[in-house]
Amino acid sequence: MRRLLILGLLFGGMVLILPLASGGQGSRTLLTFGFLILAAYTVGEIAASLGLPKIVGYLVAGVLFGPSVLATVRPEGVARLAPVSDLAIALIAFLAGAELKWDEVRERGVLLLRIMTAELAITFIALAATVWFLQDALPFLRDAPPASVAAAAILFAAIAIVHSPAVTMALLTETGARGPVAKTTLGVVLLADVAVVLFFSAAMAVARAIAPPEGVVATASVGLIIWEILGALVVGGLLGVAVAAYLRFVGRELLLFAVLVAFFGLEIARLAHVEVLLTLLMAGFITENVSPHGDDLREALERSAAPIFVVFFALSGAKIHLPDIIPLLPLVVPIAAVRAGAIWAGTRLGARWGGAEPAERRLVWMGLVSQAGVAIGLAAIVAEAYGALGEQIRNLLLALIAVNETIGPILFRRALARGGEAEA
Amino acid sequence: MSATLIVVLVVIGAYLAAHVAFEWLARRFMVVSGAEYLLLGVLLGPEVTGLISPRTVGGFAPLMMLALGWIGAVIGAQFFIPALVRIRGMLFQVAFTEAVLSLVLVSTIMGAILLWLFPLTPGAAVVPAVALGAIATASAPSGIAVVSQSLGRRGRVVQQLEVATAVDAAVAIVAFGLLLSIVHVTPDVVPRAPTATEWAVIGVGIGVVGGALFHLFLWGERQIDRLFIALAGAIILASGAAAYLGLSPLLPTMLIGAILVNTSSNRGEIKEVLGRVERPLYFVLLIFAGAAWQPEVAGWVLPVLLFLVVRLLTKLSAAWVAAAACGALGELGAGWGRALLGQGGLAVAIALNYRLHEDALYADIVFTAGLLSVLLTDLLSARAAGAVLLPRLRRNPPVTSTGLSSLEGEGD
Repeated sequence: MRRLLILGLLFGGMVLILPLASGGQGSRTLLTFGFLILAAYTVGEIAASLGLPKIVGYLVAGVLFGPSVLATVRPEGVARLAPVSDLAIALIAFLAGAELKWDEVRERGVLLLRIMTAELAITFIALAATVWFLQDALPFLRDAPPASVAAAAILFAAIAIVHSPAVTMALLTETGARGPVAKTTLGVVLLADVAVVLFFSAAMAVARAIAPPEGVVATASVGLIIWEILGALVVGGLLGVAVAAYLRFVGRELLLFAVLVAFFGLEIARLAHVEVLLTLLMAGFITENVSPHGDDLREALERSAAPIFVVFFALSGAKIHLPDIIPLLPLVVPIAAVRAGAIWAGTRLGARWGGAEPAERRLVWMGLVSQAGVAIGLAAIVAEAYGALGEQIRNLLLALIAVNETIGPILFRRALARGGEAEA
Repeated sequence: MSATLIVVLVVIGAYLAAHVAFEWLARRFMVVSGAEYLLLGVLLGPEVTGLISPRTVGGFAPLMMLALGWIGAVIGAQFFIPALVRIRGMLFQVAFTEAVLSLVLVSTIMGAILLWLFPLTPGAAVVPAVALGAIATASAPSGIAVVSQSLGRRGRVVQQLEVATAVDAAVAIVAFGLLLSIVHVTPDVVPRAPTATEWAVIGVGIGVVGGALFHLFLWGERQIDRLFIALAGAIILASGAAAYLGLSPLLPTMLIGAILVNTSSNRGEIKEVLGRVERPLYFVLLIFAGAAWQPEVAGWVLPVLLFLVVRLLTKLSAAWVAAAACGALGELGAGWGRALLGQGGLAVAIALNYRLHEDALYADIVFTAGLLSVLLTDLLSARAAGAVLLPRLRRNPPVTSTGLSSLEGEGD
């Protein structure tokens, strides 16, 4: 309550200051960014006191002070802060990779693969079928030819199956959970992150074949898709070896170094046209498993993880455009329910097939509901490729992601609590 | 090549260069690290190789403002009043006299030099002259720290030097903060332009009101991670507010740092959090300051060289006069001012802040003077401090810490 009151006073002070200058856009962004961090911190603490994950609070603060509600942070401010968001997601990917131990991967690899396969397959089919059956309720598909409806259903489902490594890592950092439910969920999420890139590329190719977009973009070749994946493994591997060498021969200023590695990984991946997240995941994985000092870097990253998550999720919230999402909620809520049900069924089937422990069978699906940055990125690709139809698919997806981004962390936290791996 | 990749390569290069070369130099010749980052920034900036473009430097202006704000908060956090009142009053008298004399003398002499060299009115010459005075007043504690640590002893002179560097920093920041309030040009977005006094009050108000609010906001927070988030948000907000209004972020954030450390029960944690990212931000600031160096004013060489000479002579004579006036000449020695010649982060911060200010006159000269002064004095600061301290530390009994050495290892 005290912090909320102070936040209100700071907001009032900012409102008083703003008319005193026209200011450079950069300094206004800095001003509003500082306020957004304090707001996210405050709302995150309120969320925690209500038994909700803090990241839900960060998201709510982002929505509240973002362009679509109070507009404290303007759209150009959000755009200016995009590099901060990119850096945060790169650090999260590196940290996620560093959480994977080779021994565990070898031991649990088959189980993770089976859960992922069953879960992705069932969720994809369920979601594609749902869009197909809901075509009369979706204004942009009502009068569309069957081929376009099929293409839209495939693309929508291919993106809606994506999970969120960022939410998973944020919750594991917040709760400190390291039990079987936490490990299996993280493993499936990371493995699926690789698989969905391949799957989305294939889905895009199929969609283009059955309903070619009007006068746009050349189809990406199979070679390019393979390079995007394999190249990421190679580039990430080399980056990991370089990081391990730094830790071996220099080993100082680890926090600064971690930030630089994340920046460097982002830029290298973009220049080499390889998958960014996979590159940093691989770099983190190699560093942790090759270098005897990998734990030092991971600990330095974990120490700085909390501010990174605040920034990332507050900015994610600020990107949510409520006026576009609210009208779609009556459609999105049933789709989200179907998705959650399919994830439940697929995960249970995969867990049984892989011989998972009873707690994993019951609870892992709850950690797979979240969605965030990766799905938004793929939705933007569809919007670019399919013009007006793509825009509509993207809006529907963004509404679905907003729902899953809010409900997912709550479910995952509950799963960790039920599994006895985190406080209730 | 993309801007970010260049920046990353630059920082990695700088860091490795520092690690390989300067650690060895520091061990062997008592050289304080810091200037190498500045030099590397100059080498990669538009003036030499052009690898970092002016556009890239401009794009990172908010980050530089944040670094300025952080430096201000770190300096402010040194001023813990219960620790300060335990220090002998005479030390403060000497320090204040030396700092004010340095500021006034350098400002006056440089004002006269600028009037002689450039077609300026006396009123216009005051602005760059006072900025140069503020830069000249700042002195780095790092050389002093290196020497006293290497000897493993402290003495009265070390105590005096710690007080002097802290007071130098405060005087420099206040003078510079007030200067930017005075030269402020109000945009036509408000019906009546605030006066210089009102701008000064607004600048101080951001610090005082912000400090009070952030004290309440951070009250009782002892977990370092959570404190880090809130404190970073507070400093970003205050720096952004000052920068948005065209004021210096250094003054408000110094006030915030001082208020927080004096009013909060979690002052230890606050200082720990401030220290956590101080070094990374300091290095980034030095690199970008180096990269931002792009003198456009013809004939900058002579005033800059004259500034270096004026600062050297003024600092030595101000220190001598201050000690003599307070009756401490016997204890400190006539040449104790040599230990105050070293400059570092704060001098760069003030110079860069002036360079980034829209209404700054002769910004290139002021900025170049600041950078060159840091480059030259940082390398020699430990040796200069050693020349003052070694004979006295061997002779005099040890004394306790002043608590004013939180910036040891950094520039200022």
